[in-house]
Amino acid sequence: MTTFVFPYRHYVVALVLLFVISVTSALFGAVMGLTNIALLYLLPVLVIALRGDMKATTIVTAITVVVFDLLNVPPLFSFSVHDLVHAWSFILFFLVGYTITYQAKRIQANAIKEMFLDTLSHDLKTPLSSLLGNVSLLLKDHPVDSQTRRALLLQINDSGQRINRLASNLLDSARLKDGNGVLRPEWCDFEDIIGVALQEFRYHPNQHRIEVVIDPDTALFWGDCALLVRLMVNLMDNALKYTEEGKRIRITVATDRKTITLLFFNESSPIKKSDLKNLFERFYRIDDRADVGGSGIGLSICRDIAAVHGGTIDARNCTGGVCFEIRLPIRKASDHPIGEAL
Amino acid sequence: MKVQELVLIIEDDEAIARMLSLSLRQQGYKTLMATDMQSAHRAFRANRPDLILLDLGLPDGDGKTMIRTIRTQAAVPIIVISARHEEKEVIASLDAGADDYVFKPFSLDELAARMRSAQRRFQGLSPSVNIISCGDIILDIAERSARKSGEYLKLTPTEYNLLKYFMLHLNQVLPYARILKEVWGVGYQNEMQYLRTYINSLRKKIETDAARPGYIRTEMGVGYRFICDTTTPE
Repeated sequence: MTTFVFPYRHYVVALVLLFVISVTSALFGAVMGLTNIALLYLLPVLVIALRGDMKATTIVTAITVVVFDLLNVPPLFSFSVHDLVHAWSFILFFLVGYTITYQAKRIQANAIKEMFLDTLSHDLKTPLSSLLGNVSLLLKDHPVDSQTRRALLLQINDSGQRINRLASNLLDSARLKDGNGVLRPEWCDFEDIIGVALQEFRYHPNQHRIEVVIDPDTALFWGDCALLVRLMVNLMDNALKYTEEGKRIRITVATDRKTITLLFFNESSPIKKSDLKNLFERFYRIDDRADVGGSGIGLSICRDIAAVHGGTIDARNCTGGVCFEIRLPIRKASDHPIGEAL
Repeated sequence: MKVQELVLIIEDDEAIARMLSLSLRQQGYKTLMATDMQSAHRAFRANRPDLILLDLGLPDGDGKTMIRTIRTQAAVPIIVISARHEEKEVIASLDAGADDYVFKPFSLDELAARMRSAQRRFQGLSPSVNIISCGDIILDIAERSARKSGEYLKLTPTEYNLLKYFMLHLNQVLPYARILKEVWGVGYQNEMQYLRTYINSLRKKIETDAARPGYIRTEMGVGYRFICDTTTPE
């Protein structure tokens, strides 16, 4: 999931390393001897294997073996191998590569599982403890005045909504992990999608501060409407959480012929650069505001939803607040322009 | 409302069934609970309930067959209770003859409103056929006109037909395919583009804030519902 940023970065690293090693071995090959050169050539294999991606390992190892064979194994610049020992070392390259890839995969899976459980227990236990605490207050024998009672009940309602949102997020995230096959595209109207997302916050005390501006030329968008609603809900949730009392939130939908751009603006103090970069990483949360009730998984799902639609999401500090910008390419043009009643 | 109407609750989760029963009794209904299909059939035959709440995820079989069986035997409102991500099942249940649905987790107020409007439809208390009003909208079928706050709305023929179809089915969930078939005709069931486009333009004309629609509510993945129930909590 971390490969959305630039999917082939690790290939580049391994191949540059391979190039450097080839140059080194060409220059100092005579001094080093074939065994040492072979060991050097294992480095790119190790580097790529640590990614835990079998396909990448196979490709890079194959390239490495070919380059090693051409440049260093006599007869030079040919694929023929005189000594069977060399053929054996080629197989070893793959063996080492696959073993490390397998181990790296296991370690990654464990790390993800751990982070997942950490986040889940935080995101789940915070609303749960608020919910149980408030319920136990209401269950106590001594009476509470009606105003306090209502406040407690609103808290309980809010916690319930949060748990509900978390459950929806987890379900959608499981769906997204399966890849493109589960995308259920249909014609979506962004005005409608925003409306449905706003519905989820209809009891939120600050929901009226969300202002919606939609370019009248916005056409229907061919995408997974349910996932796009989730995207909107998560970003609204985020904006509502990080916007102080009396500050504004504005959602703008703009379009040209090729892209739809959704801009979420909320008035707030700027976010640190390092935080901006990591905002969309799974389970990342701006630490010093842990009391806000984590969105460890919400924003990463936003990124995944944008990605399955072939789009991008960015966060940046803009004048007076924070901007989240989602750009979705229009992949199928609607022949029914909205705004032009027929 | 008839005094002490009987609601049959078919739900295998005891906590939810008990909560539903408690809340319905507070509202003046009598309740009967069944935890699986078999006992539900028995309870239905023995007691002839006035309304049925049916959880789709029952241990012993498909709720849709139950809906079909009931439909052949009695005219009683059926409201389906379902987990999220089961939109297809919900549409199939509506096609099988269910009257409405709520997704878990649902609010009791919302369920109560759904029950009331389903009952009203069954008791034939649907709005008078020539002039239907809802909020600040008045539809005059004889005159083929619609007014909002007294002012005539400029609607295209399709927009008018769509609004009319909605207002003849107030508060009722209307699956996409059904709307397309009724308003556009057979063969148009899959033309979601038409529907979305016209909903958008109709909202622009009848809603006060199209991004926060008060009349035409989207039921994600299922269809639309024209809200006209002062008792629906908002």
